[in-house]
Amino acid sequence: MPQLGNLALAIALILAVYSIVANIYGARRNSPDFVVSARHALWAMCAMVTIAMLVLWSALLRSDFSLEYVASYSSTTLPTVYKITSLWGGQQGSLMFWTWLLSIFTSIAAFQNRRRNSEIAPYALAVLAGVAIFFLLMLNFVTRPFDLLATVPAEGSDLNPLLQNYWMAIHPPSLYTGYVSATVPFAFGAAALITGKLDDGWIRSTRRWAIFSWFFLTLGNMFGARWAYEVLGWGGYWAWDPVENAAFMPWLVMTAYLHSVMIQERKDMLKVWNLSLIGLAFGLTLFGTFITRSGVISSVHSFTQSGLGPYFLSFLITVTLGYSALLIFRSKQLRSPAEFESYLSREAAFLFNNLMLVGIAFAVFWGTIFPVLSEAVRGVKITVGPPFFNRVNGPLALGLVFLMGVGPLIAWRRTTTSNLVRSFAAPVVIGVATGIVARAEGLRIWYVLTAFSLAAFVMGTVLVEFRRGVNARRHMVSEPRAKALVNLVAKNNRRYGGYIIHVGVIVAFVGIVGSSFFRTEVKKSVHAGDSFSIGSYTLRFQGLEQSDTPHLESATALVEVLRPDGREITVMTPAKLFFKRPQQPATKVAIRSTPLNDLYVVLAGIGDDGQTATFEVFLTPLVFWLWAGGLMMVLGTVVVMWPNVRERAAIATALSRQSTGAPELANVGAPGGD
Amino acid sequence: MRIRPRFFIGVGLIAAAIGYLIFSAIRTTSEYYLTVPEVAARQTELGGQALRVAGRVKAGNIDWDPNTLTLKFEIVPIPDVDNGAVKPVVASDPVSFRVVCAGEPKPDMFAPGRDVIVEGKLGADGTIAATQVMTSCPSKYKPKQSQ
Repeated sequence: MPQLGNLALAIALILAVYSIVANIYGARRNSPDFVVSARHALWAMCAMVTIAMLVLWSALLRSDFSLEYVASYSSTTLPTVYKITSLWGGQQGSLMFWTWLLSIFTSIAAFQNRRRNSEIAPYALAVLAGVAIFFLLMLNFVTRPFDLLATVPAEGSDLNPLLQNYWMAIHPPSLYTGYVSATVPFAFGAAALITGKLDDGWIRSTRRWAIFSWFFLTLGNMFGARWAYEVLGWGGYWAWDPVENAAFMPWLVMTAYLHSVMIQERKDMLKVWNLSLIGLAFGLTLFGTFITRSGVISSVHSFTQSGLGPYFLSFLITVTLGYSALLIFRSKQLRSPAEFESYLSREAAFLFNNLMLVGIAFAVFWGTIFPVLSEAVRGVKITVGPPFFNRVNGPLALGLVFLMGVGPLIAWRRTTTSNLVRSFAAPVVIGVATGIVARAEGLRIWYVLTAFSLAAFVMGTVLVEFRRGVNARRHMVSEPRAKALVNLVAKNNRRYGGYIIHVGVIVAFVGIVGSSFFRTEVKKSVHAGDSFSIGSYTLRFQGLEQSDTPHLESATALVEVLRPDGREITVMTPAKLFFKRPQQPATKVAIRSTPLNDLYVVLAGIGDDGQTATFEVFLTPLVFWLWAGGLMMVLGTVVVMWPNVRERAAIATALSRQSTGAPELANVGAPGGD
Repeated sequence: MRIRPRFFIGVGLIAAAIGYLIFSAIRTTSEYYLTVPEVAARQTELGGQALRVAGRVKAGNIDWDPNTLTLKFEIVPIPDVDNGAVKPVVASDPVSFRVVCAGEPKPDMFAPGRDVIVEGKLGADGTIAATQVMTSCPSKYKPKQSQ
């Protein structure tokens, strides 16, 4: 069986090489047969990687410890679901998983473009195959998933207990999906540069891919934060660890890209910028893998320090140099006739929003690689921790939130004063009023006051936009308000879905600000029967319950939670687990979440007498809203991605080389989504 | 794309502001990241500085008081692993530092022989007053030794 896996990976590599040659030859000689053949080769490549995946999954499920990978990351006692997820628990498996996703996305892109984009698609598919070749080379020669062990152990050494958690089933796949799908718009951007077809065709053809990628990067970051919050037991959800930063940077750059392409589609500006952003986004996905896998930067969760670093670095440098050379080579053709006219315009707001996003990404990048830089320059490793990231990104986040309010409402090109007043009077009043009320309620921290005021301001602008849209519809067709609202969103899903995402971002922002500034913490060692308090809650430790299974041993504390009036609200059960293989302790956190605050109880230690326990308890206000905001962002993205007939027509027109100015508001006659 | 000169002012101002934020934050928040031997070598200049020290927990001399949440132990250098080559026996006097961490629970993975990162300040008596002790991931995730 393992031979089948090796064989499949080898054939996949050959097919990828062939598809590049056939695609380029076919495109240059204008020979469609070769392009078709290249496409079939990519589909066959996908089938081969799928076979390799199935072989590894089957080995994991059968606990076939003759495979080194299975022996290292699984065991007979591991629950079935974690046997499946341990496919991406280790390096070889996660790289193969990555390659598998890439081959699937490449196949889909090949299918989508079988009858369109005949000029750039072959080159884009060749770029995708090129990326696949890199990963297949790694899998075939450097980090082989099907290596056998000389002596077959009776039992595997099991999956890291931290990874035995249901978030493990969804967090890495989401993040990888986000990472890998960013390759598709990158490949089309590169193809546009190679062929010189530099209109916005490549953007329009891959707009869904970019949103899809952003969607999964959002999910991946949110799941990662949630995983950290539920599993790691330090009461927070984000530590600015290099590995977290590696997932956050592509998200920032993708966000910038999704905004700036709107400027190119509308105004034919920022071509170089957009091509640079998508290149940067792709580069950052490689960089993320590089720093997680190389051990160059010490991270709390550097799972593997492997020899992969140099390969990834070489590939990253090759891609960066090659892509930059293409950009320089085409720079003359990329000049745009249009220019910025006024600070008070949507173009300017989008430009500055882009600067902020890329600025935050740069700050995160700088802080992440600073230890390496300082060691190279000054000979001593200097690290910057969370305080650095918070100090830099705090003010930038405020600027970004402000622009989130301004951008969607301000007019294109230039704005008159009366227009400004009409659009912004209500939101400004809402924002200022929120600040005044919060101050009257006793809030004195200027950052929090500003943040909450700006958040209210943005909410106000979104309300104004929805109101305008509904009124415009009601003006043209008499509809009840609710129906008008639904139709408005359905028929302009891209725009109003975007606003729903904005609302989600603001809600999450409020959650982040609240939980960062107002978290309180109590650490206490208590005997059974004793109680202690945090905030308005009283916690009474009732005792410990022990249990023992072949997989793990556990001690669960029963903690009664009482309100100030002495009424019991709930019993929380934080636990200490002890995994038997590898012998390793872990902590199970108990969380009671309400919209106002989260009570987070960690059983930090157990006394030798079995009657004493050490607790670490956090009371975190508003953290609920971070997850709620994430959910709204997800919903908004689903609305944006919902298929829309009008948009397909727009792509068709764009592809037939006519300049379009897509109508935006309340297009009554257009058919709804299909 | 052309940007009018006055737009360069706006773009430049924002870029400068971001640069300033990064520069000033680095100055106020940076910490030395050192190994145990490096701390020993620079001991005199490090007094009172924020430090992160990577080392290994020395067996014995570990004292954990759950009532006051005080953890006391010693850290020693992490021996070099030379790709399976025979490790030279370190014969020189072993450097070690006493670490006192109060008010934090003992990390799950904390055990003699584990590699830890200690965050805190070096006192005049050579004791590190730690605000945090972080454990690295278990040995299983170390690179394969070539045979």
